[in-house]
Amino acid sequence: MNNGKWIWLFTVLMVLALTGCSKKAEETSEQPAEATTASAPTPIDQSTVGDVAGKVTFEGTKPKPQRIMMDQDPVCVQKHSGPVFAEDNQVNADGTLPNVFVYVKSGAEKYTFATPTEPVVLDQNGCMYQPHVLGIMVGQTLKVVSSDPTTHNIHPMPKNNQEWNMSQMAGAAPIEKKFARPEIMVPVKCNQHPWMRTYVGVTKSPFFTVTGSDGKFSIKGLPPGDYTIEAWTAIGGGAGQTQEQKVTIGAKETKTAEFVFKAS
Amino acid sequence: MPDTPDKDPVIAHSFATFFVIVSVLLMLTLVWALYGEFFGLRPWKSYQREFARRYHSFLVKQIPKQKAAEQTILQSAEYQQLDQQLKTLEDQVKDKTEEQDKQIAILDARFSTLTDTFTTARAYVATQVYAIEHTSAGGKTSLARGLAKYEAGPFELALPALPDGHREKGGYTFQQLEEEFNQVQLDKAKLLEEKSALLRPVSELRKKRDAYLADHLNGLTVGQLHGLLNKVNDFSVEIRQINNPDAGIVDRCESCHAGIREPAVLTAKDLGGKKVFVSHPDAELLQLHDPEKFGCSPCHNGNGMQVESAESAHGNYEHWLWPLHPLENVQAGCQQCHANQMIVDHAPVLSYGKELFQHRGCVGCHRFQNYNPEPEELVSAEQQVVQLEARRHDAQRDIQQSIQMGDQAPDNETARKYYTQADMLRVSISDTDGRIEQLNRRSKDLLRDIKKVGPDLKEVRAKIRPDWIPVWVSNPHAWRPSTRMPRFRLNDGEVRAISAFIWQSGIDSTLPHQPPGDPARGKESFETRGCLGCHSLSDSDPGFAANLARVGEKDNYDYLVRWVRNPRERTHPYCPYEKRDLTEDDYTRHGVPFVFDLDHSKCPNDGHELEVEQMTIMPNLRLTIEEARDIASYLVTLKEKDPASYARADYLNDPKLKASGRALAQRYGCAGCHEITGMEDEGRIGTELTKEGSKPLEQIDFALLTAKARKDDWYSHKGFFEHKLAKPEVYDTGRDWTDRDPNERLRMPDFDMKPEEITALTTFLMGAVESQYPPRYWDAPEDQRRDAQEGWWIVKKYNCMGCHQFMVGQTSRLMSLPRYQTAEWKDQLPPKLMGEGARANPDWMLKFLANPALDSKQTDRNGVRPYLKVRMPTFYFSPLEVRKLVRFFQALSSQPLPYIAPQVEPLTEQEIAMARALFTSKAAPCLKCHATGDPAHDRFATAPNFLLARDRLKPGWARRWMLDPAMISPGTAMPSGLFKSLGDHYVFAGPTPDIFKGYDGDQPDLLTRYLFEITPEEQRRLVGMSAGLLKTSENHSGSGAGFPAHATTSATARRGSIKLTSFLVKAHD
Repeated sequence: MNNGKWIWLFTVLMVLALTGCSKKAEETSEQPAEATTASAPTPIDQSTVGDVAGKVTFEGTKPKPQRIMMDQDPVCVQKHSGPVFAEDNQVNADGTLPNVFVYVKSGAEKYTFATPTEPVVLDQNGCMYQPHVLGIMVGQTLKVVSSDPTTHNIHPMPKNNQEWNMSQMAGAAPIEKKFARPEIMVPVKCNQHPWMRTYVGVTKSPFFTVTGSDGKFSIKGLPPGDYTIEAWTAIGGGAGQTQEQKVTIGAKETKTAEFVFKAS
Repeated sequence: MPDTPDKDPVIAHSFATFFVIVSVLLMLTLVWALYGEFFGLRPWKSYQREFARRYHSFLVKQIPKQKAAEQTILQSAEYQQLDQQLKTLEDQVKDKTEEQDKQIAILDARFSTLTDTFTTARAYVATQVYAIEHTSAGGKTSLARGLAKYEAGPFELALPALPDGHREKGGYTFQQLEEEFNQVQLDKAKLLEEKSALLRPVSELRKKRDAYLADHLNGLTVGQLHGLLNKVNDFSVEIRQINNPDAGIVDRCESCHAGIREPAVLTAKDLGGKKVFVSHPDAELLQLHDPEKFGCSPCHNGNGMQVESAESAHGNYEHWLWPLHPLENVQAGCQQCHANQMIVDHAPVLSYGKELFQHRGCVGCHRFQNYNPEPEELVSAEQQVVQLEARRHDAQRDIQQSIQMGDQAPDNETARKYYTQADMLRVSISDTDGRIEQLNRRSKDLLRDIKKVGPDLKEVRAKIRPDWIPVWVSNPHAWRPSTRMPRFRLNDGEVRAISAFIWQSGIDSTLPHQPPGDPARGKESFETRGCLGCHSLSDSDPGFAANLARVGEKDNYDYLVRWVRNPRERTHPYCPYEKRDLTEDDYTRHGVPFVFDLDHSKCPNDGHELEVEQMTIMPNLRLTIEEARDIASYLVTLKEKDPASYARADYLNDPKLKASGRALAQRYGCAGCHEITGMEDEGRIGTELTKEGSKPLEQIDFALLTAKARKDDWYSHKGFFEHKLAKPEVYDTGRDWTDRDPNERLRMPDFDMKPEEITALTTFLMGAVESQYPPRYWDAPEDQRRDAQEGWWIVKKYNCMGCHQFMVGQTSRLMSLPRYQTAEWKDQLPPKLMGEGARANPDWMLKFLANPALDSKQTDRNGVRPYLKVRMPTFYFSPLEVRKLVRFFQALSSQPLPYIAPQVEPLTEQEIAMARALFTSKAAPCLKCHATGDPAHDRFATAPNFLLARDRLKPGWARRWMLDPAMISPGTAMPSGLFKSLGDHYVFAGPTPDIFKGYDGDQPDLLTRYLFEITPEEQRRLVGMSAGLLKTSENHSGSGAGFPAHATTSATARRGSIKLTSFLVKAHD
């Protein structure tokens, strides 16, 4: 009798154990679907923003100005009264550097900025691009116009963006294009006037500027924080050269950054 | 003594314990069996259940996301517009179709009413007619009368009213009934046709609207996702197997890998991190290789029938010979069917391995099918010639016999038969002669195509400083880490012997002394002429050809000049028949000048074909002697130490060393990669590797490492190859050499390969197997695709991709050089060759590849793009290779061969005037960039001369190019947007000259036709008309110079004699 009992007990236990085995541990909770929608511009408290300003200078022997011979297209020559020199090598009389693209390389990633609706205009005048260096935000329209009575073609040669090459006849409608990805710098050329050159700096933030005839720059409206400021110049040939500096901007603070490029 | 009764076992003994034990055991066995049935042996069941659950929740999450995406598209202006158009159109036809439907309904009603009466009547009439035909003459009349009466009716019917409300009265004759019956059917067919014509634009528009959604939505539509969800809801747990009896494939992999072929892209993240459920990473690959046909295991290996456990299914157990390919070698599976291809799409690792096998010189010692096949093909061609000559001899004898038989024949008929036979034999001889001629030419080509991986050592005395040789032989990697020359683990004595042998076997020759050049100019030339397309100057970038970093320490200047000028030039020709290098004496003895080149390639002694070129693949850049001196002067400056500081190696001239050196050179197979005097016919010393991956593992010699390999889990083909490639002497480890012949040591030298090279070569060798598929599954096409396959071998052989881009996304060596990163230099890159077959006329391409200068006299130029600094070299391709290359380009662009040029409609005088006006208008300055042959102008030219167009281009391509060059060659200097579409034709986008007023033809078509007619005179006229727009030289009348003479003359000759029809499809197509 006793034996019979524990046999039954054993069997019941076995069956229980068996059913227990078939139950599996519950799954780990699945990760929630990631929210990915283009976010609205980050609000920035305008009462705390600061600036970074400074000057870009050139040390050493100035490169010799390189004269551009435009005689392969007489139309180009007509627009100029005197000789024309390449802008890549220009150094201001006071030793400062023009055409330097200065921008916030890093530090502003946490912000999202609205894309400006007004386009950046690039003009072709006297078979020269105006301006020689320009900045544009990702997604902003580049409007290419021509003031020349000759045919140009606009040929940006980017690494990270889509390359294109469009013909623009005298009096033709402006060409409007956008750059989808940040890139420092996109050289632009005209294949028919090979000396024509402009450089486009494409950034995600609006914090960029280009130095002028005094070599000075100023980037305004930076929220307090740590930034890397980079300066790019075409001087020295090739793909140009860059320098960077770190700055920390406090509330309403103006910091100075000086860049010195040396003759190679 | 009272007997105690025997104990009654039933009463006294209890077997309960025994029964309990037995029943427990039984129970356990049952549990075990049940467990095994449901879990242990059926792991795939739980996999499938889990998959279904996870997939379900994935889909449920996915649907709202796709719904949102779909909504965005549905609300887009384009979609709305299409939708609106569709609705409008539907409304427009709605009344009409509804009316038609009503009419059809009436006709249907009439038809069904008619059918019963008519078919009964028809059957009766048919029986009566049969009866009349089969009855006696007397009965016929009465039957006929009866029938006529029946047919007269009347048949009473109430037909529904016609659409116009007309209703017939009943009472039809049989004939009326039949007519009505047919008419109803005809009317209905007509209505249906009208309706479908009416609805066709609607359905087309609907298709367009739905296609818009599909084209703009990433991933599956909501409808498709719901379909998948339904499928998952009905998921049944069962063995999933692919069964293809045709190839003997049974694969049950999908029993666990349930998501591998799902239309939704599944990542591990989507499915709770379970890699087993992911989609196949290359969906396109599965499209090309339908798993129902190709299965899984023939490519991936593993035991496809097994479902007991992942280990057993993957074949990772001792007695399964072909375990699953590990991820890094997974592309090994492609080789079995794609052995004929040099570049296998979707398999970059395998392709790299294939390339390395050639490039690293493995092929010098190991035969591998398709690699360096020329020597074998040469032998085969020569054997065929011998056979054909024997056949020719036999045929000649048979002719004599036939004639004899004919002459002696008893009657004319028999005689004629014999004479016919003799004629047939004569014709067959002529046919044989033609074949022999072709085979001889082929032999000549093959001899020319044989190339060696290493340099020619016959020239060593003229080229190399002797003291450098032992340094190099002892350890090439120490001198130049990135070299392809491997290290042979030689002792000092062996190094001396080999060095001495090589030095003494070299041919003595005195080279003309060269005056020095300008190293600075030479550097510029070296960097811009394209040398860097193959060579490098640093060990970090091994390059395709030799790294030249220290070439100044070892090479003689005079030889370098000669080499740079024409690397194919030998100092002495080699006669394969006499098996020796000929000398000047051989020529003077026969009174012929000591001249040997591709045009003078017969042996003066016996007329046999000579080896007149060096077996290097380096081409001739057609530089002037001055430029060659400049470059050589630059190259000799490339050194790290003074050549004079090398230890003197006077023993190189010790004749006693020569014999032992030769034995060593033979042992190590030096002649596999180098030309060495007296060793021209040495065969490969290594084992053939074509099927090495399927060699049974026990036949592969792990030597004393077998136990270790098993223990450390690399006792496999993969393990063997990897260890061998990393350290070829590894399988000598542990062997005792005291009583052994040191010559038993493994001979394979050390290559110092990088890990990625080892992986690629291992993948290649693992894939080198007897295919599990029947041959009809292999990629061995007989059509144009074979031309493409053959061509890639040549493209790789000569490193065409060092300079040119053949595929979008492929980077040439030149493209990645720092110099070519700027906007100026990008335009100096060699042309991209994507779609070259669609561009170039193959007949022209034959000429161009044979002579890229397109001029037999003035060769220091690029024939097509004189403005490029980089030079398209002369490769001295044999006709065999030129043909293959031309066919290759045409095949890549799916262009048929032979090419029949479409005829171009000649221009009228008016059209010529129009074309001229457009060409010279300020808005379309074609000649500003395109070369004209005027040196002053061409200094700025960045595009080819139009005079080449007629011979070089295909007209359809020329028009497509004008419309949008970026579609053909992204990044080209030629701008897009020159023409705009006006619906059915294109017109110039800028202001057109007045002469175009009223012209409504296709303007790119006009210009294309003009291009195919343009002559040098016409071009000069254009230049004249462009005065003020172009820079031209003063003495312009002399222009046209610098053009290929044949282009000029042929263009002139053909002008005006063209009888043509238009080749162009209408622009809007």
